[in-house]
Amino acid sequence: MEEKIARLKQAAAEKIRQHADTLSALNDVRVEFLGKKGEFTTLLRGLKELAQEERPRIGQIVNEARGQIEALLEKKREELRVRDMEEKLANERLDVTLPGHHQWQGHLHPLTLTLDRIKAIFMDMGFTVEEGPEIERDYFNFEALNLPKDHPARDMQDSFYITEEILMRTQTSPVQARTMQAHEPNTPIRMIAPGRVYRRDDYDATHSPMFTQVEGLVIDKGVRFSDLKGTLELFLHRIFNENIGVRFRPSFFPFTEPSAEVDISCVMCHGKGCRVCKGTGWLEILGAGMVHPHVLEMSGYDPKQVTGFAFGLGVERIAMLSYGIDDLRLFYDNDLRFLRQFE
Amino acid sequence: MQVSIQWLKDYIDFDETPEQLADLLTMAGIPVENVVRADEGLEKVVTGKLMEVEPHPDSDHLQICKVDVGEKEPLTIVTGAPNVKQGQVVPVALVGAHLPNGQKISKGKLRGVPSMGMLCSADELKMELANLPEEQKTGIYILPDDTPIGQPAAKALGLDDCVLEFELTANRGDCFSVFGIVREIAVLTGKQPHWPEISAKEDDETTAEEMVKIAIDAPDLCSRFSARVLKNVKIGPSPEWMQKRLEGAGIRSINNVVDVTNFVMVELGQPMHAYDYDEVVGHSLTARRAEEGENVHTLDDSSRLAKGGELVIADAEKPAGLAGVMGGLETEITEKTTTVVLEAASFNGPSIRRTSRAIGLHSEASGRFERGVDVTGTVRALDRAAQLLSEMGACTVTKGVVDVYPVKQEKTTVSFTAAEVNGRLGTEIPGAKMKGILESLGFVVEDTGAEAYRLTVPSWRGDVSCMEDISEEVARIYGFDNILSTTPQGAVMEARQSARQVFSDKIRRILASLGMDEARSFAFTHPSLFDKLNVPEDSELRRAIPIMNPLTDEYPLVRTTLLTNLMENTVRNFSRKNEDVRLFEIAPVFLPKALPVTEQPDEVLKLAGILTGRREPVGWGQDGAMIDFYDAKGVVEQLFAALSVSRYTVESGEHFALHPGKTAVFKKGRDVLAVVGEVHPAVQEAFGVTKKLYVFEVDVATLLANAAKNFTSQQLPKYPGVSRDLALIVSEETAAADVERVIKKNAGPYFKDVALFDLYTGKQIGEGKKSLAFALHFQSGEKTLTDEEVDTAVGKIVETAKKEFGAELRM
Repeated sequence: MEEKIARLKQAAAEKIRQHADTLSALNDVRVEFLGKKGEFTTLLRGLKELAQEERPRIGQIVNEARGQIEALLEKKREELRVRDMEEKLANERLDVTLPGHHQWQGHLHPLTLTLDRIKAIFMDMGFTVEEGPEIERDYFNFEALNLPKDHPARDMQDSFYITEEILMRTQTSPVQARTMQAHEPNTPIRMIAPGRVYRRDDYDATHSPMFTQVEGLVIDKGVRFSDLKGTLELFLHRIFNENIGVRFRPSFFPFTEPSAEVDISCVMCHGKGCRVCKGTGWLEILGAGMVHPHVLEMSGYDPKQVTGFAFGLGVERIAMLSYGIDDLRLFYDNDLRFLRQFE
Repeated sequence: MQVSIQWLKDYIDFDETPEQLADLLTMAGIPVENVVRADEGLEKVVTGKLMEVEPHPDSDHLQICKVDVGEKEPLTIVTGAPNVKQGQVVPVALVGAHLPNGQKISKGKLRGVPSMGMLCSADELKMELANLPEEQKTGIYILPDDTPIGQPAAKALGLDDCVLEFELTANRGDCFSVFGIVREIAVLTGKQPHWPEISAKEDDETTAEEMVKIAIDAPDLCSRFSARVLKNVKIGPSPEWMQKRLEGAGIRSINNVVDVTNFVMVELGQPMHAYDYDEVVGHSLTARRAEEGENVHTLDDSSRLAKGGELVIADAEKPAGLAGVMGGLETEITEKTTTVVLEAASFNGPSIRRTSRAIGLHSEASGRFERGVDVTGTVRALDRAAQLLSEMGACTVTKGVVDVYPVKQEKTTVSFTAAEVNGRLGTEIPGAKMKGILESLGFVVEDTGAEAYRLTVPSWRGDVSCMEDISEEVARIYGFDNILSTTPQGAVMEARQSARQVFSDKIRRILASLGMDEARSFAFTHPSLFDKLNVPEDSELRRAIPIMNPLTDEYPLVRTTLLTNLMENTVRNFSRKNEDVRLFEIAPVFLPKALPVTEQPDEVLKLAGILTGRREPVGWGQDGAMIDFYDAKGVVEQLFAALSVSRYTVESGEHFALHPGKTAVFKKGRDVLAVVGEVHPAVQEAFGVTKKLYVFEVDVATLLANAAKNFTSQQLPKYPGVSRDLALIVSEETAAADVERVIKKNAGPYFKDVALFDLYTGKQIGEGKKSLAFALHFQSGEKTLTDEEVDTAVGKIVETAKKEFGAELRM
């Protein structure tokens, strides 16, 4: 009996190993040995013919053998399943190098991206963002900024006039005066004013009749020229990089005293001198200065009590230097091949 | 303003190179824009002696020269110039030279003979041909025989000078002169200037007083008018040294008298004018306002009609020139002139500026008057001019100056303390140091104790009048670089943006995420664009604000709509083969309160978008379908959803630029939130476009007013909801939105949501009908809904739809 069991077990193992190479063949093996009419079932039925005292021992042997065969079956089944899966997957290969499906991706204008960065830096320093009209009174655009009629400095800003007294603003500086006049006199101000400005300049690679400026104004008790330097250095280091050189040159604006032009070391040649910086190693990036006492007075602030600084920067210029753009006209051409480069 | 280094060196010695000097001045607020070297491109051009000159064996015009350029071996150079002879010294461009005319010299071979350089002509060296004798204008330039060999040719050619081009600021009129620049150089280098001694030798017995009458009739426009009279004038060329100085200053030499007036103007900063005395009617000159329509015959032989009010210098009969801008033709100095009246005056800057702008003429003189001329300097300038001309032997000088100076300018004094200046700058500069700086600049500084000072401003510094101006003078000489960097102390401020700014930025981001690219366009427009856009004649959009002085005729107006810009941008993109255009712009349009404009217009912030081309980017799995009306509408709907704008209605509408059957208006109450539609075929055609275009337009402020301010999240349902699909057959004219409205109204208390998921027209349901399939969702917060409850709701919907539209349930 025991021999028979061992033989059967071996026969089953043999069949599982050699002949069952599909799941259905494996099932046939299972039926043959373990099915209702299978060899082991028959064997178990034959147990009752054994002596009473033999039955438990043989029964246990049969059950063990059965268990072993089941384990073999299970193992083989898993093998086959894995094999089948692998075969199936092998037939399901995609050309993964084909491009994925895309939706239209929109893009913000490079000037918007640049303005966002500028605004973020100044808002981090506690500046509010103010706005003003683009069609402005001569008074706010010039006179309130210490630029009376026939002042030669008006030549620097050839204007589009609507009437004798109303013009397309040539700078965002009128927002200075408007903001001061909207404040309680002598209360502190920290603001920037981004916006479009207009000048009667020919349209070429570096000039445009419309462009974008950001004006800045800080007024408080005891604001110093050194504060202007520190604030603008911080801004320029953040908008370009920490290693960029910054220099302040004395200059003249009617609304500030002292006035400064601010240069950064050339982003193209790192100060060695190249075509972009005309060999100087420096690029003019913004104008600034301590607010002229007349400007404070005209807007109701007392220059004896408070002082301030102001600055103005060209957004196109910063965008051009940041992104390596060499023609200002690209900003207003709206060619999608250009616009779609900016994320 | 430009001036040569040589002229500066006439009055001060300095060791700095031109570039170093330029940097020094620039960093002190006297910006040098360019350093122009006359020897640019002549770095590798040297003097060489022609040791041998032999004809080329294989050429009838080439010559082979052996040239000694101071090296061990002479160079062999082949030249085609006929004028070379043995023993001559000539400029030789060595291999590697990059000449001013752009020519690069390299090793060459001419008819088999190697050539190691080039002998140069005056033209090749960019010399001023007009100043050369005839024989030097063509052929190789011949230097004097005794010229040292192997030296830079620039020096031998007199091309070693260098010109500084200044980009002076409007406040520093005093620096529009050699004296002014020298004064600054002295302060910055610590060197002492050696000024020329100015004095006129009056060697003529006649007095100026008896010869000429000077008067000022407009003292507000002319504060001083001084004149000298020169006799026995011999007109001729001015000496070479003077011509050279003037050339460096960018001024053409004319004759000795005119050259001297120009020389003195650049040297001292005082513009001058010379009149032919015999042509001055009545021998009288009066500074007065021109009368309206009065004719001024100017030097350039044009007759200019005065508007009235311009300052002119008139003789007894007529204007003899526009004061400070341009002289008159009749009194011009000519070869026949024998007696000269020299004018040195002080004219009102703004008045000169108005006149010069009105006639579009900016002269060296007008530029200086605009910025302000030192009123105390007129007599000195006359003396200097008389001195120079008399030293040239070109005249005799009559006695005295006729000087009309009715109101003497008072000296400006300013009081300040070191603490005030330091407080403004954020520095700790000792008062004594400030005093030193200011004194070196010509201010007279008086100590009033405890680091307090009273200073007298020099006559040439009209730009200084208060403590703040003083702080600038101190800072620029002390050096901006030497001032520390700090950050503002004081009140902590709240960083803030207006709701409108935040909202606009949000719109930009949402539209970008919906595949729209942001455009930025000029705010200008043209009436023809309104025609193209089909804007009705009576529309307020046609009432665009005209610009008084537009840049070109192309854009004479300020825009009233963004749609024209978007159309133009699209057309431009089409022309560059960008076929799939999805652009938007947020910008104000300008609507006048009245025309002609009397006050600032309304600036209305608008959003507009345009879509055309494919629905999806070109790709291998995409079907290449084109955008339609519903894509454009979808963008607006998704934008509104993202901005929390809800509960609006959409109805068919009208817009002049849009297809009458394909225009939707989004409304909420009385507010129009958006218009979306297909561009009218006529508009399409006018812009030369064959593709279908879809546009939308939104008023940003209206949208903002209708956007939910606060957002609270909804709790997720505890009980399962029930979904039902419902297909209704209605006539084709029935608006889907109306059916949807009926659904919402009759769907009972548990109704949550409805979405149209299919639209069908076809034989199955009969002609003139359409089937609208809606997915309905019902949900209760308190319980699980029963089928009966939902059936009741759906039943009511079907019943009402049947009543209102004759709708049938599609099975």
